Parts: sequence; structure tokens; C-alpha cells
Amino acid sequence: MGLVRKRQYYGLLFVAPAVIFFAIFFLYPIVIGFGLSLTDFTLLKPPVWVGLQNYQDLLNDRLFLKSLNVTIGFVLGSTVPVWVISLAMAVLFFQRFPGRELMKVLFFTPLLPSVVVVSVIWKLLLHPSGILSTVIGPIVGQMPIKWLFDLQLSPIMSVVVHDWHIAPFYMIIWLSGLTAIPPELRDAARVDGANALQSFLRVELPLLKPTAVFVAAISTIRAFQGFSIQFVMSPSQGGPLDVNTTLGIVIWKYGFQFFRMGDAAAISVVLFAFILIFTLFQLRLGRSDDFSLS
Amino acid sequence: MASAKAYESDWAFEARLRRRIRNLILVSIGLLISLLFFFPVYLMFSSSFKSEGEIFAIPMHWLPHEFQGFRQYEFAFENTRIERWYINSLFIAAVQTIATVFFGALAGYGFAKYRFPGRNILFLFILSIMTVPFQILVIPMFVLVHQLGWHNTYEGIIMPGLISAFGVFMMRQFAYNIPDELLDAARIDGASEFSIFRRIALPMLKPAAASLAIITFLFSWNNFLWPLVIAQDRDLVTLPVGLTYFSQSLDREPLWAVAMAVSTMATIPVILLFVFFQRYFIEGMMVSGIKG
Repeated sequence: MGLVRKRQYYGLLFVAPAVIFFAIFFLYPIVIGFGLSLTDFTLLKPPVWVGLQNYQDLLNDRLFLKSLNVTIGFVLGSTVPVWVISLAMAVLFFQRFPGRELMKVLFFTPLLPSVVVVSVIWKLLLHPSGILSTVIGPIVGQMPIKWLFDLQLSPIMSVVVHDWHIAPFYMIIWLSGLTAIPPELRDAARVDGANALQSFLRVELPLLKPTAVFVAAISTIRAFQGFSIQFVMSPSQGGPLDVNTTLGIVIWKYGFQFFRMGDAAAISVVLFAFILIFTLFQLRLGRSDDFSLS
Repeated sequence: MASAKAYESDWAFEARLRRRIRNLILVSIGLLISLLFFFPVYLMFSSSFKSEGEIFAIPMHWLPHEFQGFRQYEFAFENTRIERWYINSLFIAAVQTIATVFFGALAGYGFAKYRFPGRNILFLFILSIMTVPFQILVIPMFVLVHQLGWHNTYEGIIMPGLISAFGVFMMRQFAYNIPDELLDAARIDGASEFSIFRRIALPMLKPAAASLAIITFLFSWNNFLWPLVIAQDRDLVTLPVGLTYFSQSLDREPLWAVAMAVSTMATIPVILLFVFFQRYFIEGMMVSGIKG
């Protein structure tokens, strides 16, 4: 018995490298992140304690307040439309029809290039002399269309590019959710006289709830972190006139352009609060299936 | 009898017609949307073989009229440090992948198969890490790496992503399924705890390790924010950061055909992984819920 007891301590040895690593590269940064948000710090001189001043300043910070708006817009555009497109495509690819596998691969391709590559491709597509301007321009009677320089169009384009890139990912997740539904349930509904739509709304959709919670939470949490598309695609990193300046872009700007580390850390804490809300929402609603955390 | 037969063939005809119409509708919708989604990727590939003057041709050239062969690719190699960026990206991704899989398996096995004091609290700590996205950590991580003197070095780029909490979590889920009898049998044979891990547990974790390796590689290969802030030296940057040099030149129009050639080159490793390891690729993305 003593030997068995002693053996269990080997577990500590096995987990030690990972635990020590995370103490240094997670716990410590979290602590100094909170600490820095209470200071003025430019990297050059030691941090100066200012208490909650940085947070108070954020309430009057034009760029920060603007970025809150931009982020909320991006989150709305990057969630609901993606759910609809990806679910619709999953339902489509769940049916059997000729050429389905090939179409699935074609639909999947936007997921393969990295976000930076995606942003560069779309920068070309949305160029004033690019294909989308020269094809759609004559139809709406405006040539050229400056997609990325227009204050209204530009943030919409960030959403379009994001949704195009990520929809295949959620499609795969919906599809695996649909596949997991026992076919007997569907058959039973059809035998009872339900049509395809009724069977989908009454049988499949309720059974997809865990998948839906997962997709909703993950897509929201990801959208709050919007950065790369806006950074690479929009003019002057988050422009024009900051209409694409998300919280992520503001953190980068304050931290690495203005070297105002204290303010950047405070904004990080605010962003963390937003994301925490949706993480808790996922943990509460999500069942402990493969997708949730515990 | 005859009327019954006619009725039956009528019914069969109608069913066939219905199926044809249904297929026609599904195929048209499917084709329309999948081609719409595929088009930008196709444009990236085809534009990389065009001449610069052809990029904005009206109407668009579906295939290059002035086919350039690999000239735009050669141009990228001759005029930029792309081979260096490529090697950097590969090297960083390789180190992070190997370390994440190994330490993930080690810790995951430890959490799954041993009951040591503090196990639950330590595992909860690992779980909590997964709820904090990197974006929130970038400022303090930068300060930490600065303190360590790793600013603008490979260590600085690699170290924060050396082990992933998700990797530990995923390997623990799979290590759970290793039968205890197998481990005990090896113990009776006198094998040490570490050699049991290496000889028995590790081979059984292979499929999970393959999925984890692929998503870790993808995450690292596509990672943008961290290399962007930590690597200032142009010889140290990774492919995604290097690519932005092409698209963000302020003074002149970017060389779009070259940018598309570099984009294609940056995507090729991902396409290869997808083609050859499709099952692990999709499995890995699904269990992780992350996509770099």
C-alpha cells in the first residue's frame, strides 16, 4: 500500500514541467498585467503607481470609446450571420446529392489560408481597381468603389472577410452535431407525418442545443479578439478614421506605438472582463460534452 | 392487374422526378455557394502567375494571358528575405509542436493516471488558462520577455507558446482511456514509471498526438500578433509578418502578383497537411474549437 502511495507522486513529476511553465508564462504575466494597469509605464523608466487613474481616463478616452463601438459592431457581424450561413451549409451538406464531397472541399478552402493571407487576398479583391469594384460599380452606378476607404463600407468588409474565412469551420462543427443525432429520431418524426422543415425545427434543432451553445460562445469570444483582419486589411491599421479600430488594435496601438503600457494593460483588463462574461455563459449553458471545458 | 402496374410505374416516375428536381436544387445551391467561397482562394493562386499589369485587367482574366511561370515567386526570393521568413516559421512551428505534444502528453498522462496531492487544483489551474485569450496577455508577456532579455530573439518568439494548456487538457482526456491493467502489468514486469509512459502510454496516445500536432503547427504557422510585436529584426520575422510588408507599402502600389505568390507559398504547407492528414486535421480543429 505504501508503495502504491509513493508511486502516485510520480504524477507530480509528470505534470511539473507544464505547471512550472504556466506559472512563469501565464500566472506571472496575469499578475503583472493587473499590476501594470494601475501604473504609468513606458518601458524606459520604472512604472509609476497611479491607482485607478488609467481606468478613469478610459471613460473619457475618445479612441477607447470608439473602439468599444467598433468591437461591438464587429462582434454582432461576426456572430449571427456566421451562425446562419454555417448552419444552412451544414444542413445542405448533410443531404445526399451528386458532387457533394467536391463542393464541401471547395466551401472549406477559405479556412486554409492564415488570417493574414486572407486579409491580403481581400485587400486585392476590394481594391478600387479590383474585381469587386469593377463588377459591382457599374451596377450601383459608382466607379470606383473604395470599399476599404469608405467609413460605412469598410467595417462591413472586415465582417464579410471574417465571416467568409470562418464559416467553413463552424459548418464542420454543425455537421458533426447533425451527424450525432440518431437517424431513428428523424425517421420517427417523418413516419408521424412531419415534413422536412418540421422535423428539422422540432427534432434536430433542439438536439443541436449543445452545439449551438458551443458555436455561439466560441464565435463571440473570438470576435471580441478581432485584430488581424483590421490590422492588415484596413488602411493605416484600423482606419479610415479608426472605424476598424477594435479593442485589440487599441491595445496594440497604446502598447507598441505610443508605449503607454499602463493604459494598454487597463484596456486588456476591460477586454478580459467582456470575454469572461461569455466564457461563464458557455460553461453555464454548455453540457459537459466533448466541446466544453470540464 | 394492368392498372396496378400503371399506377406503380406512375408512382415510380413521380418519385424519380421528385428526386431529380431535389438534386437539381441542391446541386445548384451547393455549387453557387461553394464556388463563391472558393473564388478568392482561386484568385490568389491564379494571380500569382500573372504579370503585374494583368492584375487589374477588365474584364478579369480567369487564367493568366501573360503566363509568368514562377517568375513572381523568383522575384520574391530575389528581392526579399522570404527564404529566411519561411525557415523561421517552419523552425518556430516545429519546436512549438514537438514541445507541446511531448509536454502535453507527459502532463496529460500524469493528470489522468496518478492521484497525487493537489492534482485537482493544478488541473483546474490548467483549465482556467484556456479561458484567457492571448490578446489579453500580450502586454504583460511583452514586459516579461523584455525583463528576460529575450526581446527580438527566437527564445522570445518561441517560449510563450512552448506548451499549451489545451494540449495538456486534450492529452489528459485521451490518456484516461488507457487501461490501467496494461500499466500494472508493465509495473509487475519491473518497468520504471517513466519507461511505462514512454513504451506504453505514448504509443497509445499517437492518434490524439497527431491531431494535437497538426493544430499546434497550424496555430504557430498562422500566429501573427506575437511575432509582430516581439520580432523587430527583419531576419527574425515569420512569414505572416513578412507578408504584411508586401501589402502595406504606403508610398507605392503593392506588387500584387508577388504578394499573391508569397500568399500561395504561405498556404501550401497547410494545404499539404489538409490533403494528407484530413482526418486528424478536422478532428483536431473540432476538439480544440480554435483556429489560429
